Amino acid sequence: MKLGATGVAASALAAGCATVAAERKPTSPATPLAGAPELTKVDAPAKPTEPQRRKLGRTGIEVPVVSMGVMNADNPNLVRAALDAGITLLDTAHGYQDGRNEEMLGTILPGRKRDSFVVCTKILVKTLDRTTGLFGKGTRGEEITEKLAISLKRLGLDHVDVLYLHAQSARAGVLHEDLMKALERAKQDGKARFIGVSTHKNEPEVLRAAVEGKLYDVVLTSYNFRQDHHLEVQKAIGEAAAAGLGIVAMKTQAGVYWDKEKTKPIDMKATLRWSLRDPNVHTAIPGFTTFDQLQDDLAVLHAPELTPADDAKLRDQNDPKLAGLFCQGCQDCLEPCRMHLPIPELMRSYMYGHAYRNREAAQSLLLALDLPGTPCDDCDSCPVVCAKGFDVRERIRDIVRLRDVPREFLI
Amino acid sequence: MIGPFALALLLATPTAASVKLPAHIDGWKLAGQPVSYTPETIFEYVDGGAEAFLQFDFQDLTAASYVASDKVEVRVDVYHHRDAARAFGIYSQERRAGSTKMPGRLEGIASPDHLEFVAGPYYVKLALLDGGAPAILPKLAEAIAAKLPGTRTAPAVLACFPDTGKRPRAEKMSARDFLGHAFLHDAAAAPYEIDGAHFRLFAIEGKNAAEARAMVAAFRAVAKLPKADVSAEGAVTLTDPLNGEVLLMWAGRWLWGAVDEPSPRRQALVEELGRRLVKIAVPVSAE
Repeated sequence: MKLGATGVAASALAAGCATVAAERKPTSPATPLAGAPELTKVDAPAKPTEPQRRKLGRTGIEVPVVSMGVMNADNPNLVRAALDAGITLLDTAHGYQDGRNEEMLGTILPGRKRDSFVVCTKILVKTLDRTTGLFGKGTRGEEITEKLAISLKRLGLDHVDVLYLHAQSARAGVLHEDLMKALERAKQDGKARFIGVSTHKNEPEVLRAAVEGKLYDVVLTSYNFRQDHHLEVQKAIGEAAAAGLGIVAMKTQAGVYWDKEKTKPIDMKATLRWSLRDPNVHTAIPGFTTFDQLQDDLAVLHAPELTPADDAKLRDQNDPKLAGLFCQGCQDCLEPCRMHLPIPELMRSYMYGHAYRNREAAQSLLLALDLPGTPCDDCDSCPVVCAKGFDVRERIRDIVRLRDVPREFLI
Repeated sequence: MIGPFALALLLATPTAASVKLPAHIDGWKLAGQPVSYTPETIFEYVDGGAEAFLQFDFQDLTAASYVASDKVEVRVDVYHHRDAARAFGIYSQERRAGSTKMPGRLEGIASPDHLEFVAGPYYVKLALLDGGAPAILPKLAEAIAAKLPGTRTAPAVLACFPDTGKRPRAEKMSARDFLGHAFLHDAAAAPYEIDGAHFRLFAIEGKNAAEARAMVAAFRAVAKLPKADVSAEGAVTLTDPLNGEVLLMWAGRWLWGAVDEPSPRRQALVEELGRRLVKIAVPVSAE
């Protein structure tokens, strides 16, 4: 017996998509979120029930606008169902599930026509300093060669379509000479059709470095409506796409929930469509682990335009109260504060204490600041209006109490 | 005076960041301050792989390095999960079937330059950089494990899978979305090969008997079986349109069964699995 029942699965999924497409109402052009420049409108599909595809930059590969981030999936039947339903680009990495993710794909892909799918993997070079984005001493291009050989063996393939240098966040990392040579060698040897770089931090710098490096064909980048700097990312994506690079968006699900407590889920179809409204994004790789989630992604694959209803869903809950704990350091708060408090640093301390739960770091930062004994208590009202919607006064009053906790109690 | 916030901090659940890694181990020295990551920031450290950790209720991570006098470096990552079962779960997802067990009493696997082990709610990964003698890894692992609280025993459900035909050290645990169904959570599965047939036995623990029956009802709906009251215990063979034939049994808070290729011998194994599962003590929360 063949494992799984993907023929049945594919027809069930296709039926689901047809239903979704049939139920869609005509919509007016989508409006961008506040502050976002108008983007070129993506033409509506002639046949709404067909999977929508875009060209992955100069690679020339026609990819579905919705692809599959395989990283969490351990069920081969889910991948089979996705492939059969038209999600033909699969994104994995050498390190996902310590290699088990590639091995799982290796149970599926060798039995399929090689041109029926696109597989992308990533290699993380172990000397990468995640904090600085720079490579340390002992960085060897051979590590890429060796790990790629292992990845190909796991996948049961003789080449991957895109080989990414994984998790880059600095120009110097992207342009590391030895690593670029190794990547180029992989391409020359036919083990990778195209070369890419992935980034989830300092994305604009990485996108521009990828253009500068000339070697890279594709960039896999974080891109979602909740990024503080999404306009900057959008601009850099535009520059990279104009230079001919293929753009793949990740983290399009924007954290999945609006709130830390995970009680308010973000509408997945809306946020995925938000990333795809940018015509310079050629595909996105949401991860999914259930067949219901696959159905949602297939609905977007067949109808990727951001609708006014989607837009409203993304606006309505973008409440400052749910802004999270991360101060973006805009410094707009400094001038209004009558006590001249170092508010960005205090917000950072608050983040250390509450988000990182690193009480020692929070206290160290507080003690290094020249603070009055009872900051905020001398003002009847606070004139500071935080750009991210933080209740600055409340947070300062909360965190400064940590100054009085004896060090040995800071567990 | 300690205020309410500070008091809350003091009463907070200990985190991986609070794990005091030994400063020195057998000639190795902790290099710099360990860095901690939370569910909000783990993406900065493990990129897309972070989702897998979050699925197993990742709490926080302490990342550190040890260096020896000859500058050889070992990277140590201590992942703290909600409980021992969740820590074992992510370990089981990353463990390669048939991996070499690490020396000593810890549950872990070892290769020349990597070692991973679980201890209570902690999943710990060690990686030897720049070459160096791999013998250091077990020593470091033991020293680090000694600082970690919690049980050292594997989840009880794993001992319930019959040995006949079972692939060694290949069990996997899934916190959610087992078989691609959102209604199936907290599952353990073990691969078998008998007479050329490959199949998996699985066990799913509901929060209580009512939830287990609800899972059965949802599974019946997926298979388009007629609606029916689900009895306290029972068995059914159903056709999951996405995973093929599934042999399903249930009693109390447990569901168990087999999926993938049929085999004339798997029924007996499934029944044996069930007999063992129902003997596992009921947690207080499920009574």
